[in-house]
Amino acid sequence: MTDTKPFLGFGLGLRAEHYQDILERKPKNIDWFEILSENYMIDGGKPLYFLDAIRQDYPMVMHGVSMSLGSTDELDFDYLKQLKALIERVEPRWFSDHLCWTGVDHMNLHDLLPLPYTEEAVRHVADRISRVQDYIGRQMLIENLSSYITYCDDAMPEWEFLSAIADRADCYLLLDVNNIYVSSYNHHYDPIEYLEGVPTARVWQHHLAGHTNDGNLIIDTHDQDVIDPVWALYEETAKRFGPVSTMIERDGNIPALDQVLAELDQARAVAAPYYQS
Amino acid sequence: MARLRDLQLRFQDYLVGGSEAIETDITGTDNALAEHRLGTYYNAYRIRLIDCLAVDYSALEQYLGRESFENLALDYLRHYPSRHPSVRWFGQHLPEYLRTCYRGEEREFLQELASYEWAQTIVFDAADSAALFQLEDMAQVPPEAWPGLTLQFKSAMLWLDLYWNVPLIEHAIDSAAEIPEKQRAAQPQRWLMWRRDLKTCWRSLEVHEAWAIEQAANGVSFGEICEGLLEWIETDQVALVAAGFLKQWISDQMVTRVGNN
Repeated sequence: MTDTKPFLGFGLGLRAEHYQDILERKPKNIDWFEILSENYMIDGGKPLYFLDAIRQDYPMVMHGVSMSLGSTDELDFDYLKQLKALIERVEPRWFSDHLCWTGVDHMNLHDLLPLPYTEEAVRHVADRISRVQDYIGRQMLIENLSSYITYCDDAMPEWEFLSAIADRADCYLLLDVNNIYVSSYNHHYDPIEYLEGVPTARVWQHHLAGHTNDGNLIIDTHDQDVIDPVWALYEETAKRFGPVSTMIERDGNIPALDQVLAELDQARAVAAPYYQS
Repeated sequence: MARLRDLQLRFQDYLVGGSEAIETDITGTDNALAEHRLGTYYNAYRIRLIDCLAVDYSALEQYLGRESFENLALDYLRHYPSRHPSVRWFGQHLPEYLRTCYRGEEREFLQELASYEWAQTIVFDAADSAALFQLEDMAQVPPEAWPGLTLQFKSAMLWLDLYWNVPLIEHAIDSAAEIPEKQRAAQPQRWLMWRRDLKTCWRSLEVHEAWAIEQAANGVSFGEICEGLLEWIETDQVALVAAGFLKQWISDQMVTRVGNN
């Protein structure tokens, strides 16, 4: 593990709805972009054109949804080969995927499915992360999920599971603050306890996002503004972890760029007291 | 790992087919029973992939109406669950699947509409061409070389032979314009689709251009294409017509190379 944690500032998930606006205006209050890797694992056309153009002006990180690190299928090296090629093209500051599985028997359910928090799963996932890191040739970040179920097999809390895997695989963490909030609501635990259980030095990135409460469960929809309790939890992360590259994720009901930038400025304001050097 | 694999298989069987065996693996709470918690995933799996199909087949969705489209998408999902890391490919078998769901002219129309929409997704992100052949480059081709000229077209170009006027219907739906009547021609019409800069373009081809572009794409020389065009064009006009096609294809940024074999 490296001693110095890179801090990129405050970024956004790059979305097609904002391509033109970004290229024309080159907003200075976006420090970096995160791309969804699978959206650019294509041969050509508009997405790659805008990606290449925008990356001339902004640092990038890459975030995937299909590595299926927790699956008990073999790792998909065709996928990893494409990912590696995209990494070589984009030259991101880092790449990440989720602590989840997305299917077995060669199916892809296109959902981020939770794992049981067991020693068996720790060994299995950490081994796969190590193999991915060896293949890609660099360390990766793994992200905590929003989840709606608890397995009877669970033998530890989620933060212990996440931390054990990160330690064993020697990878870094993309700590999604909204996901901690969502899961703590859905599973009735204290989100602060989660933060206290995570190794500070491994936390390299934060996601912030909105969600939907169906009355019984909170669903991680990414189609709303960040709510106040999540901002409060983000302030707690800022206190605890210090400067961590932070970004807003918006995947549905996507507003104009200025509205997302206003939300990003709010993140800056919340973190500012704790990010002074 | 066997225990984890069994759990994942049970979970997947539930998501795909509704098998209830997974329920004993899940802990419920007073405010959200295990069944409700699992149902969140069950529903999300379907909604996500129906919505994905609705993006790729928006005209088909509007034509069928949301309810019929959802039913079609759910049936399709049962027959063609995604096996690709990218959801972008999930809908690739829908035109083929429609063959099994409808009969007669409606089947043919829906298949053609879906094929046309899927072709748009193919052209949208097909490989870029490193260099396009330009009209100015033609000036450097000596007259004696013309008969032997062969062409290479860019990847982001294809054609479809359609009985129905689905491109006009799709375009009208896409641009919220008045939708033309469905019309079936006695013979299929060839429609060309290609990407110019970043925009997907399309147009219909007359029968002799349809023939010529297929020959050119198969590596047939300019001279041989001129000979073949004599079936439709007078001898004294054929070179002019063929050169006109070539000029049009180059101007439309479809040609990557013109050379002699």
